[in-house]
Amino acid sequence: MAEIAVGIDLGTSNSCVAHARGSRVEVLPNAYGENVTPSVVAFREDGSIVVGQGARSNLVHDPRNTVASGKRLIGRYFFSEEVKKAQAVVAYQIAEGPGHGVRVGVRGEQFSIPEISAMVLREMKSVAERKLGQEVTKAVVTVPAYFNDNQRQATKDAGRIAGLEVLRLLNEPTAAALAYGFGRGLTQRVAVYDLGGGTFDISVLEIGKDVFEVLSTCGDTYLGGDDFDDRLIDLLADEFQAAHGINLRKDPYALEKLKLAAELGKRGLSVDEQVEIRLPDVVQGDDGSSLSIERTVTAAEFSSLVMDLLQRTFKVCDEALQQAGLIARDLDGVILVGGPTRLPLVRQSVGDYFQQEPKTDVDPDEVVALGAAIHAASLVSDGDDDEEEDAASAFLLDVTPLSLRLGVAGGLAETVIERNTPVPIEQSRRFTTFQDDQERVQVRIYQGESRRAEENELLGQFEFSGFKKAPRGEAQIDVTFSIDSNGIVSVRACDPETGEETSTELSLSSGLSEDEIQNILDDGLADRVQSDAPDAEALVPAETSAAPAAVEPGPAVEPAPQPAPAVERVPEPAPAAAVEAAPELEIAPADEPLPELDSSPPVYEAFSPEIEGEIEEDDAELEIDSGISDAPTGDMVEAAAQKQEPATVGEEAVLDAADLEIEPGDLEELDVEAELEGDDGLFDRSGADLAQFGDDGEER
Amino acid sequence: MTPALPPAEIRALARLLDELDYYQLLEIAPEAGTSEVKRSYYTLQRRFHPDANRGLDQETRSCLETIARRIAEAYAVLRDPRRRKAYDGQRDGEEAALRIPLVAAEAKTQRENIEETLGRTPNGKRFFALARADIDKGDLDAALRNLKMALTFEPANGFFKQKLTEVQDAQREADDRKRAESR
Ligand SMILES: Nc1ncnc2c1ncn2[C@@H]1O[C@H](COP(=O)(O)OP(=O)(O)OP(=O)(O)O)[C@@H](O)[C@H]1O
Ligand SMILES: [Mg+2]
Repeated sequence: MAEIAVGIDLGTSNSCVAHARGSRVEVLPNAYGENVTPSVVAFREDGSIVVGQGARSNLVHDPRNTVASGKRLIGRYFFSEEVKKAQAVVAYQIAEGPGHGVRVGVRGEQFSIPEISAMVLREMKSVAERKLGQEVTKAVVTVPAYFNDNQRQATKDAGRIAGLEVLRLLNEPTAAALAYGFGRGLTQRVAVYDLGGGTFDISVLEIGKDVFEVLSTCGDTYLGGDDFDDRLIDLLADEFQAAHGINLRKDPYALEKLKLAAELGKRGLSVDEQVEIRLPDVVQGDDGSSLSIERTVTAAEFSSLVMDLLQRTFKVCDEALQQAGLIARDLDGVILVGGPTRLPLVRQSVGDYFQQEPKTDVDPDEVVALGAAIHAASLVSDGDDDEEEDAASAFLLDVTPLSLRLGVAGGLAETVIERNTPVPIEQSRRFTTFQDDQERVQVRIYQGESRRAEENELLGQFEFSGFKKAPRGEAQIDVTFSIDSNGIVSVRACDPETGEETSTELSLSSGLSEDEIQNILDDGLADRVQSDAPDAEALVPAETSAAPAAVEPGPAVEPAPQPAPAVERVPEPAPAAAVEAAPELEIAPADEPLPELDSSPPVYEAFSPEIEGEIEEDDAELEIDSGISDAPTGDMVEAAAQKQEPATVGEEAVLDAADLEIEPGDLEELDVEAELEGDDGLFDRSGADLAQFGDDGEER
Repeated sequence: MTPALPPAEIRALARLLDELDYYQLLEIAPEAGTSEVKRSYYTLQRRFHPDANRGLDQETRSCLETIARRIAEAYAVLRDPRRRKAYDGQRDGEEAALRIPLVAAEAKTQRENIEETLGRTPNGKRFFALARADIDKGDLDAALRNLKMALTFEPANGFFKQKLTEVQDAQREADDRKRAESR
């Protein structure tokens, strides 16, 4: 029998693990019976670490020690715009680590982002082990197709720290296509339209009997469900300002409420023709009276608010089709992935654009993990077992999403490997020096589509010396770039005459060094992750069983912080009890979004009772999940409630609290553009002029 | 699943790689159509892709990876009419190069860049070289003069212009500093 290898969709908000064997592929539900697990990591007072439902509940009352949306920070430089934006909205501490990396500070400890992601992966590993009844050490992990090398490297490190051998980093849209076409014997051209919380990916693939070839992939890293929320927020805030002269955007508490309401409203529109957004007592007027928002938003109105955003996705689709050498009509199918594609508006617009109905037989939340599982099975198949034949025969040919570039004189970056080139691939180029008797060149590698170096993502730089001294333009340096099947870049330089060579697995400055990874592994970090399960049957790794108490009633007794503003703002009694009990009870349906990171607890406490009431009263308007989830929510909640002793206290309140939670997708969209801002101070720019290129030796 | 290839065969092919043109690599005739290119690419990747050949020793594996990359390169060129045309032209030429850079279309702009950074005309080159020497010496006034001269020969040279701005900025800074000190 072949080894076991699973597929893990390591999502921004939720993660999902699946396993394939033969023609059977299935999602492995977690201990709560849910197919997706929140990508949230909670650091408890006793030093234990919890991931998933338990952690998500923690977010509510202990946001400072709960980390969500780590994926947004992975592989980023500390000075990047994304990190600045995240800092503005999260309650936990974000600090600068070595090499301009990002560190998260919780309970006096510092963690790198790969470590945070590793904790999520570790939990997914446990989920799989529990379900499969055996140890799992190998996995295919998915990444957004637009992920650059830095982000891929960091994700791979996360796998290692989690104790997983990452067999492959697989692009999410590719995984989706694989799951869609698997075992159907299709010969089709398909587009995968993947609209997530903050990013948009489109891939065009050709599916053969057993080959999946990506023809092109394009994306927009500034476009997702969050932008839809922003439009609604603007609408509400503008109207409120017109009516009351108060700018809600200036009031962080009010803004949080607005964000929450907008996101819930948006989700509502995926089931209903119209939603009513009510925000009682959103802010106090000048005369001390409390002001509220009540606003009905119809699907048509929402559509006009976000139509230009959808148009932007279609521009990207144009590009992808053009790169694939196809027109919309050439496609046999369109596959939708990501939360916002549940909106009828999105489905319809996509249908109009591609001139065909998108496929409805694909679950936008699970399809990526399923595809990863199929690929994982094919990578470990030994081919002896007939049953394995199916998965083993699915063969993937992917492309590199971003052009690989080399920095040259004048602040420019020359393309070495164009985007959408099939991988694995290798290219060599000959370069020359820029100054007489130059002894060293600084080789800088970028990814992106701009000729201007600074507008691309810097992957890394290394110095090359040892080539023969010569007048400028005469020394020769061969630089060889390769991109492997994971999309990971490596570069080596060599002097064709002396044979002197340097090679580097382009290690980015923000990433972890080998030593750091080794230290983390030695510290057994991943083993601190407690298996998150509602009962004691959890497969707890031997090393962690020493502290099983943390799994059970631990969090219930942890006092919720009660900062002053909450007291002033909440006349309702006892919200604290409800919140305290939350970790034990809260079971959300699979579709339920991950809670937003409250920047301060008072916000939550201040508005929770209000919205709770809201949801109870206006089920049809704001109850979002009914009808979209296939998870047996109600039953599960009850079952879980029975298992938990302190259930009675705040059961209702807590369940409502679950409804309240916001998706981390709401975090301000992180943008990539300014990635290298501040570069000047951080990297030695003086070398930029050194590597100058000459594509053939006889040039001078 | 295709059985793993014999390691000896893999290593032999890897050694041969630099003598094969893209058509030979893909085992197709030079007049093969696009669908044939694709079919062959699929077949060969299946045969040589590292995913399809596990359990090889390090050396054989790295040979296999080299082959797979070269097959992808051949495919990237031959499936693209623009690149394929450039490649066929090159193959027919005296050089008879067996490989072509995947960004061949960009090669021209790259050459232009080099020219731009060194100068395109003899006089442009000469004055720019002088200006560079002045910059190295820290003689900004002289650098400015020479840059301006260089630009009279190559008024469109963006790189010269960029250097000119840099020198002007540096000079302004130096002036400011002097003024501040004298006060
Ligand atoms: N029913 C729904 N209707 C409308 N939008 C929804 C719905 N469900 C979720 N969303 C939105 O989907 C977004 C989250 O999408 P998704 O879970 O696909 O991923 P993500 O956070 O981008 O993860 P990944 O890392 O995989 O890209 C949020 O903006 C959320 O508001
Ligand atoms: Mg996703």
